[in-house]
Parts: sequence; C-alpha cells; structure tokens
Amino acid sequence: MRDPTELARRKGAGRTPAAKRRGGQDDAARLTALLRTFSEGRLDGRADPASFADPALRGVAEALNAAAEHVSLRIKDAEARVEAVSAGVDEAIEAMVRLVIQGDLSGTLRLGVTDAALTPLIAGVGQVMETLKRFVTEIREAALQLSTSSAEVLAAATQNESSTSAQASAIHETTATMEELKGASHQIAENAQMVAAIAEQTLSGARNGEGQIKAFMGAMEKVRHNAVEVDEAIGKLSRRVERIGTVVEVIDEIADRSDLLALNAALEGAKAGEAGRGFSIVAAEMRRLAENVMESTKEIKNLITEIREATHAAKEASDGNKRMAAEGEKLGGSAATSVSGILTGIQETSDAARVIHLATQQQRTATEQVVQSMSEIEEVTRQAQAGSRQATGAAAELTKLAERLAELVKRFKVE
Amino acid sequence: MSEAKSEILMFQVGPRVFAAEVYDVIRIGSVHDVPPEDVVGATALGVPFARRRGIVVGDHAAGTERALAVDQVIGIRSVPETDVHPLPAFAAACLQSAAVTGFVLVDDSPTLLIDLPTLVREGPAAPADAERT
Repeated sequence: MRDPTELARRKGAGRTPAAKRRGGQDDAARLTALLRTFSEGRLDGRADPASFADPALRGVAEALNAAAEHVSLRIKDAEARVEAVSAGVDEAIEAMVRLVIQGDLSGTLRLGVTDAALTPLIAGVGQVMETLKRFVTEIREAALQLSTSSAEVLAAATQNESSTSAQASAIHETTATMEELKGASHQIAENAQMVAAIAEQTLSGARNGEGQIKAFMGAMEKVRHNAVEVDEAIGKLSRRVERIGTVVEVIDEIADRSDLLALNAALEGAKAGEAGRGFSIVAAEMRRLAENVMESTKEIKNLITEIREATHAAKEASDGNKRMAAEGEKLGGSAATSVSGILTGIQETSDAARVIHLATQQQRTATEQVVQSMSEIEEVTRQAQAGSRQATGAAAELTKLAERLAELVKRFKVE
Repeated sequence: MSEAKSEILMFQVGPRVFAAEVYDVIRIGSVHDVPPEDVVGATALGVPFARRRGIVVGDHAAGTERALAVDQVIGIRSVPETDVHPLPAFAAACLQSAAVTGFVLVDDSPTLLIDLPTLVREGPAAPADAERT
C-alpha cells in the first residue's frame, strides 16, 4: 500500500507560503486518509513523520504510527490466542467424542491446552462427562431394573396367559355345565309340574277317600247298631230255645213214661199169654210211638244243642261284630284324622310343587341369562386370552429389548 | 197146632244184650223211682253205663222187690221154645254165677238167658267175675 503521508511530502517540497499553506492542508488530508484506512481495519499503512512540515502534524503522524503498531501487535496476539483456544476446543471435543465412542466414561478428560480461557470449557466437558456417566449409570440401573421388571412382566404375562387359558377353559366348562343346568332346570320344572299334577290328583283321591271313610264310618255305625239288634234278637232266640228245651224235656219225660208204660203193658200182655197178645200188640205200638217221640225229642235236643251252639257262636260273632264295629269306628276316626292330615300334607305338597315349578321356571330363566352371560364372558375371556398372548409376546419382546439395552449400556464403562 | 213159644225180655247192660223170662219181671220202671238201697247196679253181667231203667224183680226169699239197673230195656220177644237152650254143663261149671241158665237164639244170634231173681240175689260180683262173664 502506498503511504499517503509520503505522497503529501512529495507534493510540499520547494513550495511557497501559499504553497506551504496548501501543503499543510495536504498533510492533514493525508493523516485523515490514514485514519480512514485504520478505521477500515487496514492497519498496515504508516505515515512518514518526516514528511510533515508541521510539527504538530508530525507528532500526530508519529502517534498514529505507534498506535497502529500497537494495535497490530495486539491483534496478532489475539489471533494466536484464538488459534490456541480453537485447537484446545477441538482437542477437548475430539477427546470427548473418542471417549464416548470407546464407551469409556470411567476416566477424566485430560487436555494439553492450558489456556485459562478453556477452563470453563474443560469444566463444562467434565460436567458433560460426569452427566453422561451419571446417565449411563442410571440407564444401566434402569436397564437392569427394566430387565428384571420385564422378566417379571413376562412371567406375570405368561402366568396371566396360563390363568386366562385356565379361566377360559373353566368358563367353557362352566358354560357347558350351565347348559346342562339349564336342561336340568327344564327337566326339574317339568317334573315339578308333574308332581303338582300328581299332587292335585292325589288330593282329589284323598278327598274321595275322606268321603269314603265317612261313609265307612256311617256303615260301621249302622253295623254296630245292627249288631246290637242282632244281639238282642239272639238273646230272644236263646230264651225261646231254652223254653223249647224245657218243653222238649217235658215231652221227653212224657215219652219216657209212655215208653215205660208201654213196656209194662207189653210185659203184662206177654205174661197173659195168648189172651194178652192183642194187648201186647197195642203196647208195642204205643212203645214205638213213644220211642218215635223220644227219637224226635232227641233230634230236637240235638237241634236245640246245635241252635244253642249256633246262638252262642252268633252271640260271640255279634259281640265280635260290635267290638269290630267299635274298633272300625275308632279306626275310621283315626283314618279320617290321618286322611285329614294327609289332605293337609298333600295340599302343602301341591302348593310346594307349584312354588317349586315357579321357582324352577325362574331358575331356568335365570340359568338361561347366566348361560348368555357366560357366553359373553367366554367371548371376553377369549379376547382377554388373545390380549394375554399379545401381552406375553410384548413382554417377551420387552425383555429382549431390555436385555439389548443392558448389553448396549454395558459398553459404557463408568467405574 | 201152633208152636210153643217163650216170652223173653231183652235188655242191655253195658255193651252186651241179655235175655230173661218175662215171668221173672214184676215191672219195669225208672231207677230214680226206686230207693237207692233197692237198686242193684254191678252184677255178674257188668256195670251199666247209664242206669236208665230198672227191672223190678221179686226176691222170694226176702219177700221184697229189687231193681236191676240196666242201660236199656230193648223189648219183649216171643221165641220158639226150641230156640231156648240150657247152658252146657262145661260152661256152667266154668261160670261162677248161677244166674246164667242158658241161651236163646234171637234172630239166629245166641243171647245169654239170665235168671233175674238169682242175679239180684247174688248181688254185686267181683270185677274179675263180671269181666270173665
């Protein structure tokens, strides 16, 4: 670059005062131009102090030169420092990248640069390394914990899948059982209806039985009444027979006497010989009659004996009839009481059967609802089973990822 | 000329039937009509079952009447005298009672003929005698 003051000095040599005055103005212009180059960052220009006639301007030129020199030196120093700092920064970044790439976070960052300006940077990089180390440590712990947790999740998911399968199987069996229960409820309802119908028929039959027992008791009362009448008639008959027996005894006695008379007559006739023959014939006839009478009375006695025996038997039978009739009435009363109880029981049974019928119908409806719900639960369980499988798969994948993460984190040494 | 006949009284003592001459009999009555001391029960003919009739016989030696208790007086039969036979001597010797005097054929069946006065006079016989008779 050309020195502006040199140009001004060349123009002022051998000049007049007017030229000198004009020369002074040129020196100032040169200085001004020099300053302008300085302001533009061009510090390589200098002013030649000897070219300035005016001492003041000369001093200004000298001061300008000194200032420019000083500033240039400072700029050079600054540039050298910037270069050193840049190299330190590059070294720090390179060292940090190298450590990160190698995964060794156990050591500390050591740099050859000692510039104080890099101290914050080094401190920052150290903090970054410490932060990374802490992160890696925490990530390692988290990876370990994640691995453990994912293993637990996998186990739990597997268990859940197994449980869900068992649950699905149980629900399926329960659904089948409920289906059977529904059928059984239907059967029970039909049976209960049948029981109710049978109980109704039994009730009707028991009512008929109750009526027949009442009729039986009436008949027993009549039998007892008849037995009393028969007893009285038998008593009368017995008394008449006894009277007949007495009469027959008299007749028998008379016949016996007649027989004796006839015998004696025959005896006398026989003693009389031929004269008594007719008498004997009459006596024999009389005796035959007497014997006939005695035979008849004997038969009558036999008949009376038979009648007595028959009357006695009839009396015993009549007494038996009375006792049996009384017993029958008592039994009929007991039977009526029992039938009344049976009627009550059958009525209760019929009512209970109806209640059971209604209850079993409700049960059947409820069972159908349960079957429907169980089908829905089964469907939901099937979906849950599929979800469990997916969760198990995801847990397995998560476990692999956790293991992978642990493997990755293991690459970083922090101790 | 008609055949001579004997009038005999048929009576029963126990299971056996005997015969007696009607002339030995005074009458026939009931044992209940005769005082008990005058009734002859057990004899050589045996002991009657029922003692229904009493054949009254005269005891000529004592001049009294006694009643032979019998079960039944069957009746009076007229039999030919040829049917009346004395007791054979051997048979008579074997019998201890003298009341059995012979036998009579009644309807072709031999029936012992009893002397009633002798029988009631003999009175009760020993059981062995009665049984043997």
